[in-house]
Amino acid sequence: MSLVVSVTSGSTYFWSGFFASNRELSGFIIILIYLVLISIFAYLISGYISKLYRGERTWLTPVSGRIVSFFENMLGEEAKKQMKFREYFSVLMIFSFFSGLIVFIAIFFQNSLPYSLANNHFNLSLTFNTVASFLTNTNLQHYSNPSDLSYFSVTFGITGLMFLASGIGFAASMAFVRGILTDKGTIGNFFHDFLVSIFYLILPLTIFVSLLLILDGVPQTIQSYLAVHNIIAPGFQYVQLGPVGTFEAIKNIGTNGGGFYGSNAAYPLENPNWFSNILEVISFTIIPLGSIFALGKALDEPRFGRMLYTVIMAIFMFSAFMVFFSEYIGIPSMSGLGLIYTGNLLGKESYLGIAQSSIFASGATITSTGAANGALLNYTPAGLVGIMTPLLLNDPLGGVGTGVLNIFMYVIFTVFIASLIVGKLPELMSLRIGSKEIKYSTLSLITHPLLVMIPLGVTLLLPHFLGTFINSKPADLTSLLYEFGSAAANNGSEMGGFLTNQAYFNYLDGVIMILGRYLLIGFQLVIGQSFANKSPKIEFGRTIDPGSYTFALLLMIIMILLGLLSFFPALVLGPVLSWARDFNLFIGVIIR
Amino acid sequence: MNRYIEILLLTLKYFSPVREVKNPVMFITEISTVVALFITIFPTAFNLPSTSTYLQFYTAVVILLFLTVFFSNLSWAISEGKSQAIAASLQKFKKETTAHLKKGEILVDVKSTDLIKDDIVVVNKNEAIPMDGEIIEGSGYVNESNITGESRPSLKVLGDSVTATTTLVTDHIIIKVTSNPGETFIDQMIKIVASARREKTPNEIALTTFLSGITLVFLIVAALIFSMGYFFLNPIDIMIIIVLLIALIPTTIGGLLPAIGVAAINKVSEFNIIAKSGRAVENAGDIDTIILDKTGTVTMGEREATKFYPNSGVDYTEFQRMCLLSSLQDQTKEGMSIVKLAKRENPNLPDTLEGYRFEPFSAETRYSGIFKGDEYVVKGALKTLKSKYSLQDTFIEALCKEISSRGGTALPVVSNGKFVGVIELNDMLKPGIRERLSSLKSMNIKTIMCTGDDEVTASYISAESGIDEYIANSTPMDKYEVVLKEKGKQRMVAMVGDGTNDAPALSRADVGLAMNNGTQSAKEAANMIDLDSDPTKLMDVIFIGKQILITRGALTTFSIANDISKYFVIIPAMFFFVPQLAFINILDLQNPILAITAALIFNTIVIPFLIPLALRGVRFKPSSLNSLLKRNLLIYGLGGVILPFIAIKIIYIALSAGGVVW
Repeated sequence: MSLVVSVTSGSTYFWSGFFASNRELSGFIIILIYLVLISIFAYLISGYISKLYRGERTWLTPVSGRIVSFFENMLGEEAKKQMKFREYFSVLMIFSFFSGLIVFIAIFFQNSLPYSLANNHFNLSLTFNTVASFLTNTNLQHYSNPSDLSYFSVTFGITGLMFLASGIGFAASMAFVRGILTDKGTIGNFFHDFLVSIFYLILPLTIFVSLLLILDGVPQTIQSYLAVHNIIAPGFQYVQLGPVGTFEAIKNIGTNGGGFYGSNAAYPLENPNWFSNILEVISFTIIPLGSIFALGKALDEPRFGRMLYTVIMAIFMFSAFMVFFSEYIGIPSMSGLGLIYTGNLLGKESYLGIAQSSIFASGATITSTGAANGALLNYTPAGLVGIMTPLLLNDPLGGVGTGVLNIFMYVIFTVFIASLIVGKLPELMSLRIGSKEIKYSTLSLITHPLLVMIPLGVTLLLPHFLGTFINSKPADLTSLLYEFGSAAANNGSEMGGFLTNQAYFNYLDGVIMILGRYLLIGFQLVIGQSFANKSPKIEFGRTIDPGSYTFALLLMIIMILLGLLSFFPALVLGPVLSWARDFNLFIGVIIR
Repeated sequence: MNRYIEILLLTLKYFSPVREVKNPVMFITEISTVVALFITIFPTAFNLPSTSTYLQFYTAVVILLFLTVFFSNLSWAISEGKSQAIAASLQKFKKETTAHLKKGEILVDVKSTDLIKDDIVVVNKNEAIPMDGEIIEGSGYVNESNITGESRPSLKVLGDSVTATTTLVTDHIIIKVTSNPGETFIDQMIKIVASARREKTPNEIALTTFLSGITLVFLIVAALIFSMGYFFLNPIDIMIIIVLLIALIPTTIGGLLPAIGVAAINKVSEFNIIAKSGRAVENAGDIDTIILDKTGTVTMGEREATKFYPNSGVDYTEFQRMCLLSSLQDQTKEGMSIVKLAKRENPNLPDTLEGYRFEPFSAETRYSGIFKGDEYVVKGALKTLKSKYSLQDTFIEALCKEISSRGGTALPVVSNGKFVGVIELNDMLKPGIRERLSSLKSMNIKTIMCTGDDEVTASYISAESGIDEYIANSTPMDKYEVVLKEKGKQRMVAMVGDGTNDAPALSRADVGLAMNNGTQSAKEAANMIDLDSDPTKLMDVIFIGKQILITRGALTTFSIANDISKYFVIIPAMFFFVPQLAFINILDLQNPILAITAALIFNTIVIPFLIPLALRGVRFKPSSLNSLLKRNLLIYGLGGVILPFIAIKIIYIALSAGGVVW
């Protein structure tokens, strides 16, 4: 490396010099530190989550238990009876619909409601998109905050939906795990599960994280815009503050990902320093990864949990290191200029650097958070493949609750194939996997690619809507693939590259998000119900061992294979072609 | 020759869309064939180039697509042809005979097809038994060779069931008819063989669902490629998109799936076992526990004398003589084996009873022996002899104990007021049983042996043969308990039974194999019937069941794995106009259309190559699940990725060398 640091006697000098001149290694180590930290925190919380799954007493029961029973008493009989799939899912849908409707009205009429500081009016399509986006834990934002949404909409509408969406997700996973554990034929009560998710898990963590964030310098106020003297130009510049701390906390804890500010965690007021960066990565991985360990613990099969962790971590590491090394290598046309080239820092915060931006980006897509601390549009094509890989696999680590459900579909599927290959009838933890389970896991596994490819194929045929695309064709294809992939996976990560706030994209994305969320939860709960009708686990390994390394390898191969088979052509013509062009043409940006 | 024409006709018949729609993969292929044919005839209607090069390519595609469906149907037809042959061979047994119906005291001759349940029929010597029934009077030897292939007639006594169309070769019996016309055993078997192929097993349904899902995804992928071509302002030839679609959808497993299902029933039938459903065969592959009877399954079931132990002070030859004399007229198998052993050891022993009177074994006396005045030689159970003659001999008692601890049966002999020695009888293990049991063990299958013997013998036999658990002194009810206990642990249980008291256990077990010479109720309760009445065949059924599941899994894996390599051939060929994508063309196939044709040819010919595998089932070594998983993943998964690369390259080179220039 051209950066020469004199190596003198002191060891402090030696190590700082060593890390400064070996930037690949330091970046690698930084990412490893992140991965180790998130694993530790996830493992620490997993015991607590597994207690929630099993419905056992926790140390928060004295407080949260009272609140939950208060609400349950208010709801009366509805909150006490045990439900089968049909009822559970209907209640979940109705609850979602009315919550969405209320927020829809609040946002649509926000100008007439309090705390509206010169906010724009949201048209019908944008309102629909926004509500669908936050209701489904996606948080794809086709508007730019805080200039577009009022503080009232943000605080009561958006923040409310952020809690609600993650609560619904976790409730669904509770019902599913209960289905595996029980043989009573019911999967629990939605209201109870939802209240437990909120008051035992999401709210306490959010409060804790928002305190840390506020201490770290994230604003938390409802005061009006702050007027500051601009250094460069004369006059005032208005800095929009607001209840950022709490918003940021639930955004990450609930794997929501929609930023208070348009530029999300790349904005210094959302993500002021390395500490907040690390805190945010930990907060959006803690529940999904913790649930994975907790699943193993709740099913009395810790090896199963560890196997899932291994698979997810392998994909996570592939994604993170792919992003990091691609960004580090950068674009040949730049490095070919002969300057001191430090990698592709375009669109990244300099105080975070490539490593911390890479791990954040890949962590936000492997969980269904979709937050960003950099501009994805400016990532290199290979880096984008790294970011997109989890997205196209429907977020292997997933969102709050849904992660467990999504990976379980892959597991069912893997068990099916593996059992056939060794001549056993498929069975997982002594639960027979029949044609019904295979049917619904197949449905839930193909829903994602279909929800991405159908809109993509249709949109490509409509040049009318492609007028706002600004890049070369392969990059445009990548943008569209990313947009629909993010919507279908309920991720909400935004790459941009075209004007997203068009009625066509607003409605289309909205529908994709709703289908991607509720169809999947529906299919998955049908399986949960079917498991609930079967006898519970019995200690005996009569069939293939889902905790073994062979199984882990097969699971990973199947996940990648299903993703690859669906998206290979689109990936080839999108990012791979861009990458190939980058490396063939050494000078200049690719022109259409 | 006739058979081949029949199969060919069947193959063509299966082209009917009504039939194909149940198999979505082949249905899509068939529709694609029609569309491709249409395009070939009217290329200009689709704005496609219609130079002779392209027309040749289009024609090749149509032919290859047709062949894909044809081969799939062919495999199905071969399989069905076999099962039709089996059904037809069974049909032959259904012959009409005259029956002597007993009405009160008079006999009326009626047609056998007119008999109904509970009729009483008289069967004379050398007459065919008109209807399935139970003997209520008399006994006789029945020749069942038309069903079992066993030429030696078997003895049927009161209460035994007899099967229609078998022939009574001795005596004369009276039977009570147990089934109505069209419900006889033969009728049921024909129905079973004919209907088993229609009904899909749950696993087959699951696999079909999965394949349909994948096919739907690839349908959308194909459409997306069309869109992307349009987006890149380089519309892609629709024919090439059709080829991609057919190459991607799992035609290999989709084409062979129906054949595998039928082959399962056929394979079992080849073992002379009638499976009542394909599901039963599939279950057999998943068995965790087998409940075996000792007699007839693990051991030969015939105790034979193996050694003489004279008491102290008794001359060996003298003891031999006593044993021989006491058994000379003994018609039991044990007795005959004693004579055989003694004669073999010492051919000079006498052949006559020397004036002794023989008293045979009876259930009341529990001994047998010879008597002449005060002299006697008696053999029997130790306890009986001790109490009868009030004898006490610690040496003999210890000897008996030792023999039974070795799994043998001790037969003490008393002569003139004292124990003169002990004869050791042993039940021989069936040849090869130890190897079979150890291969079951390597597949993690638990074996439980039920035996009426005492604890000591049972434990000896289990240890000798490699049985995991045994139930000594068991009654038929114990079998039912064992089935319930194992089912309670969520294990899959297989068992063999023949008696009426086995029926509850047979019906509870996941796989119940009834012996053909067993009672009617046992046969009804079981889901498989062994025509040869050989209980060891249960293990063969387990192998077949496993083989079928593995065949499906292996072909599915192979089929999906193929897609990866096909992508790497077809995508660069499709987008040959984007030079930067050349690095994906790892096979370096320069001519895009030729490359696509080569991929399609591979896709088509792999089906006939795999037909024998589908009909025969993949070979597998009994081994632990984990190593089996690793091995099969390597062969069918990794092999499925690598093989197409090699094959397509070879086909490509062959095509270019053959002068095909497109």
